[in-house]
Amino acid sequence: MAILIKNFKSNFVSLVPLILLFFITLNGMSTVDLNFFTVNIHFILVYYFALRKPELLGNGFIFLSGIITDVIHGLPIGTTALTLLVVAGVASYVRVVTVRISLFTDWISFIPTLLLASLTYYFVLNFSDYSIDYIYLLKNSIFTLIFYPILWILISALLNLLGESN
Amino acid sequence: MDTSRDDFGIAVRSAFLRKGTKQRFSLFVLSIISILLLFFDSMESKPISFVRSFVKDTIYRGSLIVSSPINGFSYVSKGIVNHFQLYSKHSELEKDYKILKNSISKSEFLELENIQLRKLIDEQTSSSNNYTSSRVMLDKQSPYLNSFIINSGSNKEIKNGMAALDGANFIGRIIDVNFFSSRVLLVTDLNSKIAVITEPSGNHAILSGHNNKPITLDYLPENHLISNGDKVYTSGKEGIFSPGIPIGEVKIVKKKINVSLFSELTQITFVNIDLGAPREKK
Repeated sequence: MAILIKNFKSNFVSLVPLILLFFITLNGMSTVDLNFFTVNIHFILVYYFALRKPELLGNGFIFLSGIITDVIHGLPIGTTALTLLVVAGVASYVRVVTVRISLFTDWISFIPTLLLASLTYYFVLNFSDYSIDYIYLLKNSIFTLIFYPILWILISALLNLLGESN
Repeated sequence: MDTSRDDFGIAVRSAFLRKGTKQRFSLFVLSIISILLLFFDSMESKPISFVRSFVKDTIYRGSLIVSSPINGFSYVSKGIVNHFQLYSKHSELEKDYKILKNSISKSEFLELENIQLRKLIDEQTSSSNNYTSSRVMLDKQSPYLNSFIINSGSNKEIKNGMAALDGANFIGRIIDVNFFSSRVLLVTDLNSKIAVITEPSGNHAILSGHNNKPITLDYLPENHLISNGDKVYTSGKEGIFSPGIPIGEVKIVKKKINVSLFSELTQITFVNIDLGAPREKK
């Protein structure tokens, strides 16, 4: 019985990132907009798990969630998928070159990640003849960066609570 | 120097080309697939459109199911708030009812007068409206596109470019048609540019959306006579929309000509799609 409960708990923990990712994707909540405040939770989730727990969030799922976001938000199919893969790619690179991971190093490396992600968005939407609100993009990147530590702590706390140790 | 360049190359290769633990695809392969999808998305061919429509319809339905608990929760919370406002609403409605009752006799007289005058000028009125009604299926606030999904598509003969109306008021146009769903691009979107005419000043202009900022009238002549309260209608000059569909009214704020819409875009449940001139019966 104890083994069964332990197995169930371990399976559930491994599914938490996926559930979170697809919940926000299918609900169209990848970007939270509250008047001036706008945060891209999608980027933060992908970056966090690609950096800290890549075994819990497969690249295929990141790609799929990007495709779903594109369809729901009416963007050219592949835009968000490519952007999220860039985010995951930079996170993987940071993971390879960094010896000791801390919130501060994560946060600092998130700056070039956001820049590259916004650049990808810009290129893809520019080639697809979509008008881009640059101020919005900048605002979104800044608030996503500011909000990153809060979500970092929340996700870490959630994973610790569920028994997924570092 | 060479060593650091090598290290960088190794790290990049490791991040993008190597499959990590429990990873089935490498980031590089998926990025190539994304680029290919972007390329295919811009292509117009029947098999691609068929697959695209099928995928989009499936995702819209999936999203509808997944978001139903959240929608249900907001529906219940709105219901509770409405319940608490019931008494004040009832008193307001009672007042309105009295006012309306008094004005009914007036309007009946005006209607009669209208019929007589129409007869007098021998006017032949015939409606050319050919609308199909649809329900708003998904209204996800996208940061990059002000739009929503309706539950009719090519099954109801909807085509790209058709006008979407809230009652009789223009709210946007169709930009993407699937089998059982379509996307309406709202007039507030940054990508929305509509040819309009103002009344009574009679100036032609382009109605431009700016996402969260107010809609503006652009490309007006220098000596225009537009003033506050002027009505804005589609001009039909672009040859896509019927002329004379009401959109909103002019509100000049700090010398900037904004347009206030007749419809509240966040409160729309049903839309009419203007299918163009009705087909002649054989």
